[in-house]
Amino acid sequence: MLEQLLIFTRGGLILWTCKEIGNALKGSPIDTLIRSCLLEERSGEVSFNYGAYTLKWTFHNDLGLVFVAVYQKILQLLYVDDLLSMVKQSFSEIYDPKRMRYDDFDETFRQLRVEAEARAEEMKRTKQVVKPLNGVKKQGQVSKEETKKSNGEKKDDEGKVSSVSNGNHKMEDDVANGKENSADNNNNNNNSVGVDVSKLAKLRSKGVRGRGGLRKADSIGSNKGSSKVEPPKKATKKNRVWDDAAAAPKQEEKLDFTDEHGDNGHVDVVAAADQGESMMDKEEVFSSDSESEDDDEPISDEKPEAKKKGWFSSVFQSITGKANLERTDLEPALKALKERLMTKNVAEEIAEKLCESVEASLEGKKLASFTRISSTVQGAMEEALIRILTPRRSIDIMRDVHAAKEQRRPYVVVFVGVNGVGKSTNLAKVAYWLQQHKVSVMMAACDTFRSGAVEQLRTHARRLQIPIFEKGYEKDPAVVAKEAIQEATRNGSDVVLVDTAGRMQDNEPLMRALSKLINLNKPDLVLFVGEALVGNDAVDQLSKFNQKLSDLSTSGSTRLIDGILLTKFDTIDDKVGAALSMVYISGAPVMFVGCGQSYTDLKKLNVKAIVKTLLK
Amino acid sequence: MENLEDLKLMAEQWTNQGLEYLQKIPPFQLYAAIGLLLLTTVLLLSFRLVRRTKSNTVLLSGLSGSGKTVLFYQLRDGSSHQGSVTSMEPNEGTFVFHFEHAKKGKIKPVHLVDVPGHSRLRPKLEEFLPQAAAIVFVVDALEFLPNCRAASEYLYDILTNANVVKKKIPVLLCCNKTDKLTAHTKEFIKKQMEKEIEKLRASRSAVSTADIANDYTIGIEGEVFSFSHCCNRVTVAEASGLIGETVQVQDFIREYIKP
Repeated sequence: MLEQLLIFTRGGLILWTCKEIGNALKGSPIDTLIRSCLLEERSGEVSFNYGAYTLKWTFHNDLGLVFVAVYQKILQLLYVDDLLSMVKQSFSEIYDPKRMRYDDFDETFRQLRVEAEARAEEMKRTKQVVKPLNGVKKQGQVSKEETKKSNGEKKDDEGKVSSVSNGNHKMEDDVANGKENSADNNNNNNNSVGVDVSKLAKLRSKGVRGRGGLRKADSIGSNKGSSKVEPPKKATKKNRVWDDAAAAPKQEEKLDFTDEHGDNGHVDVVAAADQGESMMDKEEVFSSDSESEDDDEPISDEKPEAKKKGWFSSVFQSITGKANLERTDLEPALKALKERLMTKNVAEEIAEKLCESVEASLEGKKLASFTRISSTVQGAMEEALIRILTPRRSIDIMRDVHAAKEQRRPYVVVFVGVNGVGKSTNLAKVAYWLQQHKVSVMMAACDTFRSGAVEQLRTHARRLQIPIFEKGYEKDPAVVAKEAIQEATRNGSDVVLVDTAGRMQDNEPLMRALSKLINLNKPDLVLFVGEALVGNDAVDQLSKFNQKLSDLSTSGSTRLIDGILLTKFDTIDDKVGAALSMVYISGAPVMFVGCGQSYTDLKKLNVKAIVKTLLK
Repeated sequence: MENLEDLKLMAEQWTNQGLEYLQKIPPFQLYAAIGLLLLTTVLLLSFRLVRRTKSNTVLLSGLSGSGKTVLFYQLRDGSSHQGSVTSMEPNEGTFVFHFEHAKKGKIKPVHLVDVPGHSRLRPKLEEFLPQAAAIVFVVDALEFLPNCRAASEYLYDILTNANVVKKKIPVLLCCNKTDKLTAHTKEFIKKQMEKEIEKLRASRSAVSTADIANDYTIGIEGEVFSFSHCCNRVTVAEASGLIGETVQVQDFIREYIKP
């Protein structure tokens, strides 16, 4: 049953709501839809879930209208898409920018809804009759859907009978037919499902292997193991033991190579590293060159034939500017744009979603005069990219540090990421920058796994002359971090930078250890360190990190990744797409960019320069 | 080729005729005519220049959810129609206020722009700032304290923007939703904003001289910030978009855009 259907302008004014179903919606689903979906360039998606509701939408880009339908998530109503497009068509006929009230639309809407529901029922009936012997899995799914639908329909029917006037005999007949059909088909489906359960199990195992691909090596291994005889066990490396309880004291001695007396004796007191201003504070100078010339050539090279045919008509259209953009018009331009984004190292999935979103926002729009389709698409994409890369909340760390200082507690930053992205190096750079702004910093060496990690941080601390809290190797990082924060509170440090060990996003025990650290210490900022060289894996890394953090969080607030630190930015010339992939998938802003290997090489993200490089 | 030569000959003849005619006119009249022409062009240009600086654009800005779109439609139509949702695009209109329709005579219309408050759409504000004659910064007086920091950061960014400082654009801090019982008073809001901006001033000016984020700093060194320190006028007012209590906002706008 439809909960609500709204029509509003892109400027935010509600033009029409369905008064028949005057249910007040719980929470504010429309605002959340706009903020977390439409403004995040995810308008190409099919639907959006909020609490108990599912929302579907469509745009009328020419008039600047948005049509949103809200319904209960458990009901899978088929007719919503159909209804939305019909409503769009009929409303755009009566729309007038001067008019604010559209009460006469109520009647039209009622008729449209009845039509759409009837059509959906018919389609369902034809589907049931035509396809009795399909693939088992499909039928299994269809039967599940249908039982849900029939339940939904039954609710609908009751509602309809009560609300629609009794004069509508035809509708009641249809309803009765619908009920009978669904009852019959339920019986059929039950029988067929009973017979093919074994087939279903086989298909399921096949399906898992097929979908596994690169990442589910475990399932492949287990399948192979079950079918063949197990190969004799080779002498494998002993796994590193992570829990404190199981650590044998002998292992600890062997692995802890920290030199008790050595370091202080060897190295003389190093003068405080002063390499000048950190690049965070320097103004960026970038050249503004004309880019329009370059775009034309590659596009024209790709499709010379198509252009010759429609040349005169397209030129004519571009001058008069009357053409309404259709999907077929947008497709070639969007495809070229998507490929260009992928050559700039944007993950394929992200480029696809972005193109869908831009398509949704341009379809049906009138071309302005004297513009080509490609330039309109380019403009829309540029706006979308700027919107994504502009941070959603303020990234003013100094302000947060001052706020924490007033509350007399240290500001805790945790650096997380996969192996080898540059966490320790960039931690030192951030410490240098903070120190330049007269903030007292303390480092916490919670990477108790990698050999030399603690020494590395110790060297940085000595060069920057800031205190470091370390407990050696093979200790629980969560406990070390907790003690470090207590120490910082005691000696009045403003900021604590916590370094953690690198871990792959699929490694279950390591991710559990990380979420334990975060849950126990409740840091102010969880900074994900990602390298700019990463390709499609960025999407996987960030989504898995976020998922694990939210799954394994204990009671209270769920901490997700709050910010991104992009490293090794100097190694990529113009393949800056990783920044876009990471920001899109996680929604977290890029707070720092590491662009070199010395202390001053830390910058802020320049949104306009990145967008220009991506679209060049 | 012959055509071209013919044309050339004809052009030459015409120029000769024109010159002869000119030489026949007494010189005094000629100079008078040229002088008059120059004078009129100079006057027209100067009028255009003077008129250009007086734009009639007023910006409605503020955080998302503070009530800008409702206020926009109240000023324009006298009612907020059926409510509003988060704006994705600016609402623009050039009109005379709804309450001024009753007045007789020709009143100058106001070009009102409602800029979306969502942080992702912040760059849109900078598009409109160069043409602004006045800015109304709308604050939610009901849910003030949770949003105080974000609101003060936004206001700080506006007050330190190059366009605002150079042209001394006046700013009205409008406390919206004052029809509700638990809404804060404008004095409270003003004090809180001054305190927050003071903190921002301290943290942002601690950054080095090449401050990329803000163009200028505001306030006087060594003194606690107050709105009277700004070189442009900052005033505070109360309003309620829902019930249509917008008198103070209208007065402010009319102060700078004479009817």
